[in-house]
Amino acid sequence: MILRFFGVVALALALAGPAAACARPRTSLTYLEGQVMCPTCHTTLDQSDSQAARQIEVFISKRIAQCATADQIRSDLVANYGQGILAAPSHKGFDLLAWWLPVAGVLGGGLVLAFGVWRWSRRRGPDEPDEPEDSGLDEETERRLDDLLARFD
Amino acid sequence: MTRRLKVAAQLVALGGVAGLLALLVWQLGHQHHGPGVGAVAPAFSLRRLDGAGKVSLAAYRGRPVVLNFWASWCEPCKSEAAVLERDWASYHSRGVVFLGVDYHDLASDARRFVSAHALSFTMLQDGSGRVTGRYGISQVPETYVLDRQGRVVAHLAGPITNPGFSLKFRSALAEAAAA
Repeated sequence: MILRFFGVVALALALAGPAAACARPRTSLTYLEGQVMCPTCHTTLDQSDSQAARQIEVFISKRIAQCATADQIRSDLVANYGQGILAAPSHKGFDLLAWWLPVAGVLGGGLVLAFGVWRWSRRRGPDEPDEPEDSGLDEETERRLDDLLARFD
Repeated sequence: MTRRLKVAAQLVALGGVAGLLALLVWQLGHQHHGPGVGAVAPAFSLRRLDGAGKVSLAAYRGRPVVLNFWASWCEPCKSEAAVLERDWASYHSRGVVFLGVDYHDLASDARRFVSAHALSFTMLQDGSGRVTGRYGISQVPETYVLDRQGRVVAHLAGPITNPGFSLKFRSALAEAAAA
């Protein structure tokens, strides 16, 4: 993996030529590798060793050497391969669903849970003090029973 | 009230399951297996690789068409390129159209490939793989031979330089040109 990385970078720099020298690169291959898909194997570039993935890595390295930003490189790739080349969906149109649906799911689940807990606590009612149970004995018998029990204390 | 809540929760869960099933059915229904022999090839319109406008398959109805799917990163495509160019040179006078469809590729690399192999037939770009997917292409190179009505005469899933494919390709070309 490391050898491949350095191989790609070395090849890209060799191809980029003197005009491509960039003193302070504005992004890196490792940063973009996880955000760009290999079009033939449907994994991100960092997970792929296919020829198509290597070709894109060389392209990214060349653009980095030309001081291109991550956004510029991503738009170049989208212009060539379409939106599907990016690992994450865009923040507009139908793709917004992919971002907001999980949030809505978590919020909805939280609300249902909160409502359930609220209803359960209301049905149970506030804690009431314990009342002495009715033994069913008259007062005189109870007094005599207490006296009798007191002898054993 | 609790019972109503329970029924509502069950309905929501059922709705979720039904939605996921619908998604699965939709996905299965939209999987492309490519046209079989005798089927009409899917219509398309693609950008030319040299940037000079678009080309649609329908424009070639009435002429036999060889559709070759390739990419500059594909090793077998390199050995196949010279054979395709030679066949194009010998068949284009008989009205056969050769269309190269560059798939999942960088246009700059693809243009370099065309120039390096001195390919002179029409090259189209399908960077997103949208059209290629409708032809059920899973690997490159792959070649379709279409007759004058746009029906598939042969589908070769591999380089036409393969020993088994070479003869099949030429007989399909002859059949398409004669039909």
